[in-house]
Amino acid sequence: MTSAPPRTPWAGRTARSLGYLACAVPVAVPALAWCVVSVVLVLLLALTRLGPRAFLASSFLARSLAGLERRRAGWLLRRPVASPYAALTAPTPGGRARELLGRPATWRDAAWLALLFPLSLVCLLPALVSTLVTVGLVAAPAWLWAVPNPNAPWFVAPLVSTWPGRVVGTMIGLALAPAVAYLVVRLADGQARLADWLLGVGPQQALAQRLVETRARVVDAQAAELRRIERDLHDGAQARIVAAGMTLALAERKLRTGPPAAADDVRLARRQLDDALAELRRLVRGIHPPILTDRGLAAALSALAADSPLPVDIRAPGTPSVPAAVESAAYFVVAEALTNAAKHADATSCRVDIDAAPGTLTVRVTDDGRGGADPAGAGLDGLRRRVEALAGTLTVTSPAGGPTVVLAEFPCAS
Amino acid sequence: MRIVIAEDLLLLRDGLIRILTDTGHTVVAAVDNATDLRAAVAEHRPDLSIVDVRLPPGFRDEGLRAALAIRAGTPDAPVLILSQYVERAYAADLLADGRGSVGYLLKDRVTSLDDFLDAIERVAAGGTAMDPEVVSQLFARNSRNRGLAALTPREREVLGLMAQGLSNSAICAALVLAPVSVEKHISNILAKLDLPPADDTHRRVRAVLAYLNR
Repeated sequence: MTSAPPRTPWAGRTARSLGYLACAVPVAVPALAWCVVSVVLVLLLALTRLGPRAFLASSFLARSLAGLERRRAGWLLRRPVASPYAALTAPTPGGRARELLGRPATWRDAAWLALLFPLSLVCLLPALVSTLVTVGLVAAPAWLWAVPNPNAPWFVAPLVSTWPGRVVGTMIGLALAPAVAYLVVRLADGQARLADWLLGVGPQQALAQRLVETRARVVDAQAAELRRIERDLHDGAQARIVAAGMTLALAERKLRTGPPAAADDVRLARRQLDDALAELRRLVRGIHPPILTDRGLAAALSALAADSPLPVDIRAPGTPSVPAAVESAAYFVVAEALTNAAKHADATSCRVDIDAAPGTLTVRVTDDGRGGADPAGAGLDGLRRRVEALAGTLTVTSPAGGPTVVLAEFPCAS
Repeated sequence: MRIVIAEDLLLLRDGLIRILTDTGHTVVAAVDNATDLRAAVAEHRPDLSIVDVRLPPGFRDEGLRAALAIRAGTPDAPVLILSQYVERAYAADLLADGRGSVGYLLKDRVTSLDDFLDAIERVAAGGTAMDPEVVSQLFARNSRNRGLAALTPREREVLGLMAQGLSNSAICAALVLAPVSVEKHISNILAKLDLPPADDTHRRVRAVLAYLNR
């Protein structure tokens, strides 16, 4: 007779579940301590200027503990439990604290940490007791002889004091084992699922997150595609047309001594090719300006500024590397704004500010014109859609009398 | 004329070689990247290098950079940049050293054979060849310039041709004007733009380009 239960998947699952329930306690204790200490400290410090910082620090701890809990639940559930945190964008501690206060994840973390201690006891105790009783019963013949118990009540006495009784005890233990295993697995599973529900990403949020990610990928892929199209048009179609034009040019030269009518036709064909090339070049410039591919955003913007009839003061401290899609959208925002300033706003000068804070690129074009730009006009509206596709915003303020400010903000993970 | 060509597209490289040899020039080397270009120029000391802006490996502006490096090492080494598109900024880079013997043309211009041959002769002889599109970009950015606003339409036309690098006689031919009237237009233009009169065509062209590029 052995005391170890037979190795079945159930045995492994039960052991895993017991492990999960048992290791809840080392997390539950600091979690409880966190609850008490952070509530007291944050409430006290909320009256002082340290309040936001204390709240941020306590949230950091809460997130670390919650992260541990996610890993634990993920281990038991055999699938990762994703964390729902979105990046904080406010520049000041106060702003970030306010942002955190508004996030459901903050409160769900706190709820789980507060719940963990009682919950872990409620789950662990029955699981542990029932497991020990079962294992003890199964192993009865191996140890009961060593602890004679003369005071055992009459209905237990035969089980503990006689050999056949002890073997019956083993039978009872074996019979109970599946039920106990079921109980343990259910308790652990329930706890992990609750953790997943509170700490994980809700289905709506998961969908939103996926949409944001896929949109970013689509936009990036599209930008790369446009760049490729620009190169392909220049090096493929355009080069072939030029080559055909060269051949025609040589033919035209040879026909100088031949019939004039044929020479005229060849000359006409060559001119038509020239028109095709001019058209193609115009098209490509609208798709993706070559200088952006060649020299990057800073150089492309300086070229725009230099090509404008207005004096343009361009301020771009430190050129950030931003995704291709953002780069080209920023380029077209500046191009459109400068064109409008020169054409419609009667401006005499312009200023372009490029500001790259971590995670955002801000482009601001300010002119000194007479304002009154229509933000719903075709050019600006097209730009807005382009910027919004990158999860950015385009704001145009143009009061009558000016000045016009075109502000584009792009979020970009860099 | 002994010419080095740097062009990565086989089709265009062959076309250029054919055109140049058919018109009595010698292509001493035809390469497809910037490193080989610099080696070929150092080896052959050609009368002219014809260089594509975009060359491997990056396909950005390696050709232009190589040309600038060549001219930094050998001032006045004649270089004609060919490109699928024109960027005024690139022309400004080429003109920045204030010397002649540079050209910047769209590849399309090769098909207007006489103009193209004229342009390479000009560049090899120390002159300038600017693409009409560069010149129109220059005019656009100077559209509020008072000096330019004071020009008559005819003078603007003459200025445009000057900026492309054409000599007086070429301007006469292009506009079907008598040499005397072209001379008169030019001295009017220089006066209105406040540029010093100069007999040397090349220097005058450079002054005009510098004026439009500043």
